[in-house]
Amino acid sequence: MSELFVVGISWRTAPVAVRERLAFREEELALAVQAITARLPVAEVLLISTCNRVEVYGVAKPGSDAATAVRGFMIEQRKVKAADMDDVLYEYRGAAAIRHVFRVASALDSLVVGEAQILGQLKAAYRMADASGTSGPVLSRALERAFGVAKRVRTETSIARGAANVSSVAVELASRVFGNLAGKNVLVVGAGKMSALAARHLYASGAQRIVVTNRSPAKAEALAAEIEGVAKPWEQLEDHLVEADVVISSTGAREPILTKKLFKTVTKRRRYRQMMVIDIAVPRDAETSINELDQVYLFNIDDLDKVVQANLAERAKAAEHAGKIVEHEAGQFEQWLRTQDVVPTIRALREHFAQVADAEVQKALDQLARKEHTRDQQRELVQRVVQLVVNKLLHHPTAALRESADDATLRAAVVCELFGLEPGDADEVVAEPPQPEQAPDAPEHKKAQA
Amino acid sequence: MTEPVRLLSVAPSPAFWVAVALYALAGAALLAVLGGKTKLRPLALGIVIAAFVAHGTDIGWRGTQNVHPAQSVREAIGFLAWLLTGGYLLTSLRYRFTLGGVVIMPVAVVLLVLARLTPAGEAAPDQLGALGRIHISLATLGVGVFAIASAVSAIYLAENRALKRKQFDAIAFKDRGAPLEALDRLAHRLIWVGFPIFTIALVLGAVWVSRLGHSLDRLEYPLAAVTWLAYATLLIARQVYGWRGRRAALLTLEGFACALAVLLIYLARRMVE
Repeated sequence: MSELFVVGISWRTAPVAVRERLAFREEELALAVQAITARLPVAEVLLISTCNRVEVYGVAKPGSDAATAVRGFMIEQRKVKAADMDDVLYEYRGAAAIRHVFRVASALDSLVVGEAQILGQLKAAYRMADASGTSGPVLSRALERAFGVAKRVRTETSIARGAANVSSVAVELASRVFGNLAGKNVLVVGAGKMSALAARHLYASGAQRIVVTNRSPAKAEALAAEIEGVAKPWEQLEDHLVEADVVISSTGAREPILTKKLFKTVTKRRRYRQMMVIDIAVPRDAETSINELDQVYLFNIDDLDKVVQANLAERAKAAEHAGKIVEHEAGQFEQWLRTQDVVPTIRALREHFAQVADAEVQKALDQLARKEHTRDQQRELVQRVVQLVVNKLLHHPTAALRESADDATLRAAVVCELFGLEPGDADEVVAEPPQPEQAPDAPEHKKAQA
Repeated sequence: MTEPVRLLSVAPSPAFWVAVALYALAGAALLAVLGGKTKLRPLALGIVIAAFVAHGTDIGWRGTQNVHPAQSVREAIGFLAWLLTGGYLLTSLRYRFTLGGVVIMPVAVVLLVLARLTPAGEAAPDQLGALGRIHISLATLGVGVFAIASAVSAIYLAENRALKRKQFDAIAFKDRGAPLEALDRLAHRLIWVGFPIFTIALVLGAVWVSRLGHSLDRLEYPLAAVTWLAYATLLIARQVYGWRGRRAALLTLEGFACALAVLLIYLARRMVE
C-alpha cells in the first residue's frame, strides 16, 4: 500500500559528470516536487540534490508503479538519454528503501563515511518538501525516524570522530598546540589551490587574523579578500613568520623557502613562542630540520595524510557497527509500518459490518413500529434480519471468490485462514447458490437456539 | 594557664585510611578515563573530591588533637599530598587534565603511606617555635606548587615529544590532553606563585637553623639552594631571553628533583636519628 520508494543517483553509481546533469538547483526543487505529485501517481515526495547524490524519496499511490514513473520524470526533466541512465539510476522499494534512507541519514552511504553534512542537507530537503506540501505521514515518519537513527549512530559509534581530510587534520593539530585558533595569527604562504583550501578551513574553524603572502601580490589580495585576511608583501617573509603562530605553506617553489637558517632567526625573534608549520607543498617548502628547533612543530602532507588514513580506517570499523544499528532500526520501522498499513483496513471492515447490521436492524425496527406483530411474526422477523445481515456481508466475498481465476486457491486459503475454517466448510460456502433468498442453514439456527 | 601539649603526630583517624583508599580508587578511575572510558570522568573527579574531603577531615581532626599540619616533616608530607590534590582539582576546573590526575593520585598515596611509615620523632618544645612552623608550612606550600608545575611540565614534555615524532595517538593525547601552549603558560604561572613562597620559607629556615645553633653544612641546605636557584634562573631567563617550552619544562623538573631530594634527606635523617 503506502510503500516507500527511492529513485536516485549517487557517487557510488556515477561520476560527477553524470551526476551534475541530473542535479537540481535549489530554486528548482520546490517546483520539481510539486510537479511530481501533480503529474505522477505519487502521494508524497521529497527531493534531495547535493554534489554527491540526487535522490527522490516518495510514496506511491496504491497500485501504481510510481518508482518507474519518477525515473521517467527525471530523465525527461533533465533531458538525458534514458539508455544512459539504466546503469546509474537505482531504485529501492519497501524495506530496501527504508534501509537506504536510514543509511543516507546516518552518513553510511556518504563518500566520506560519517561526514555529518548529509544529515543537514536531508533535513533541509525535508523542510522544503514540507513547505511545498508534498510531504505526508509516511515520509515524515520515515525521515523523523531516520534522523533519530542518525543521532543514535553518531553517539553510539565513533563514525564521525577524527578529522577525515587534510585541512581538518591541520586544524586538529593546531588545537593540540594552541587549543583555540581565535586570537592566533595565521600566515598563508603561497596563494595556490591547496593553501586556499586550508586557509578557508582555518577561517571556518575560528582563525581571525590571517595574513596571506604570495610571490604575485594579486593572487594574495584575492585570497585575502575571501577569508577576511590581509595580503602582505612577499619580501618581508621573515617579519610575517615572526608574527605568525600557524604557518600554512604551499608554494610552487622548487627549493625550500622555510629554511632552518631562517627559522633560527625567526624563533629567536619571536622569543621561542610555540609555532606550527604545515607544509602541504610538493615539492616541500620547509626543511625537515626545522622540526628540531624548540617549539617549532612541522607537519608535511604525508604526516597529515597518515592521520587521515588512520581516522578513515577507524571510521570504517565503526561503520560496521553502525550498519548493524541501521539494519535493526530499519527492521523495527518496517514492522511498525506494516501494522500501520493494516489499521485502515481493520477500521473500514468494522465500519462496513456495523453499517450493514445497523441498516437491517433499523429496517426491522421500522416494521415493528408500523404494525402490531404476533410473537411468531416477531421471531420470524429477528431470524430474517440476522439472515439478511449475514447474506449481505457474505455477498461480496463470495462473489470475489467465485470470480477469482488465477489466484483462486490463494484467495480460498486466505479466507479459510481469516475465518478459521476447515477445508470441508469452505467447499460448502462456495457451493452456495448465487442469490440465496432463503438461508439454507436457517433450521440449524433454530436447533441451536432450542 | 597551661600551655597545651604539642604533639608531633598522632595515629590517623579513620578518615585518613578512607582518603588513602579513595586516592587509589581515583587513580584507577582516571586511568580508565584515559583508556577511553570517558563516561567515567565525572565519577573519577567525584572520587578525587571525596578523597580530598576525607583527607581534609583527617587534617582537621589532627588540629583538634593539637597536631599542626606543619608540626613535623611527617605531617607536612601528608599535607603536601592534600595540597597537590587541591591543585589538581583547581586545574581540572579549567583544563582536561586527566593525565595529571593519573600521576598525582598515586603520588598522594605514596606520600601518605611514606608519612605513616616514618617515625614521628620527638621535638623539644622550645625547638619548634612559631618560626619553625611557619617555615614548614611555607616550604610545604611552595614545594606543593612546584610539584604541580612539575606535573604540568612533565606532561608538556610528553606531548611535545609525541608531536615532534608525529605519534598522534600517544598516551599524552589520550582523553584530549591540554594544548601545549596552555601547559607552558600554566607551569610558568605556578612557578611565579610558588617562587616567593619558597623564597620566604628558605630565608625563615636559614634563620631558624642558625637560631637553633645548627651548622649549615648539612646536605639538604645547599640542595634547597639549588632548587631556589633553578626556579630563579627559570623566571629570569623567560623574562629576558624568552626561554620557555622544552627547556623551561626540563629546568622545572630539575628544580623539583632537588626539592624532592631535600625532603627525602629530611625523612632519612629522621629514620636514622
